[in-house]
Amino acid sequence: MIGWLLGISILLACWKRVDLFRSFSRGAKEGFENAMGIMPALAVTLISIRVFEASGIMKELSAFLSPLAAGMGLPPGVMPLLLLRPLSGSASLSLLNDILRQYGPDSRTGLVASAMMGSGETILYTCAVYLSAAGISKSRYIIPVALAGWLAGCVAAGLFFPESFA
Amino acid sequence: MNAVLCFMLLGGVIYAGLHGNMEAVSQAALAGGTDALRLVLDLMGGFLFFGGVIRLLEDAGVVSALVRVLHRPLGWLFSEPLEQEAMEAITENLAANMLGVSNAATPMGIRAAKALNRAGQNTPTAALCLFLVINATSVQLVPTTVLSLRYAAGSAQPESILLPSLAASGVSTGLGILLCKLIESRRRRG
Repeated sequence: MIGWLLGISILLACWKRVDLFRSFSRGAKEGFENAMGIMPALAVTLISIRVFEASGIMKELSAFLSPLAAGMGLPPGVMPLLLLRPLSGSASLSLLNDILRQYGPDSRTGLVASAMMGSGETILYTCAVYLSAAGISKSRYIIPVALAGWLAGCVAAGLFFPESFA
Repeated sequence: MNAVLCFMLLGGVIYAGLHGNMEAVSQAALAGGTDALRLVLDLMGGFLFFGGVIRLLEDAGVVSALVRVLHRPLGWLFSEPLEQEAMEAITENLAANMLGVSNAATPMGIRAAKALNRAGQNTPTAALCLFLVINATSVQLVPTTVLSLRYAAGSAQPESILLPSLAASGVSTGLGILLCKLIESRRRRG
């Protein structure tokens, strides 16, 4: 897919007479700055996640959450992602990477976590940015509705990779 | 998010203190930063590549083409008549979000939010609620970051999640829209 995407965008760019080198390098620069820009946030969240895991609470929390995971048809390993995805982009990115490394990217846990991550957004941040820009402090039903959507998306991700899958 | 970080760090330290795990916690605290830098390196390939490709697509006019495609269905979705500027900003924000052009999406989203609250009220209108719910349930067609991480983790089939991810995203956005419409139609009836 990535190869096709590259081919198509180069064709389009040539057809529209875009300055290939300048455009691509400008985009790459933005990508570089974005990646470096999230580094400090990743450090804070990864330090917290590592401390939380090493202390041993993570195990207790997982044991507590695994019946809930079973009820939603999800592998227990994705539960931390389910909780943190709506709250923080950097925390969920760190968690997804940990899940991919720990369970393997092609395990059921890794696949479901990837699909979940791709189907969700940082709900609280998104709402806060746009509402405060519009000078609004009340959020009415936006957050509960978005969270319901998120949970439904998670269940759907679980259904796509059934238990027997891997 | 601050409360969550506080809970994880303080809870971790206290729990470790009670269970004699302090050594492991100290080690973990120092390892976190290194892991962050490693994660950035894993992400870098994807960020540089997709950054460039997305910029090419944008400069070739793909975002504005998508805006034209989305115009009619969005007009139908936001059933009440909205002013021109609000509708334009909404369409451009969603088109940019679908293609993953985040630096174009946020300013457009802010313009849309402002245009939808011209009256300066403190509570969001139905249209603004719907717009935010759509934004908060992800409309990105290709989750480039997830894809980069899967490639970096050595997956045998990194792209096998594209369709499931899109479907799950459709479910979350679809349910979000449905709930918004239900709540608003109920409120109107009484």
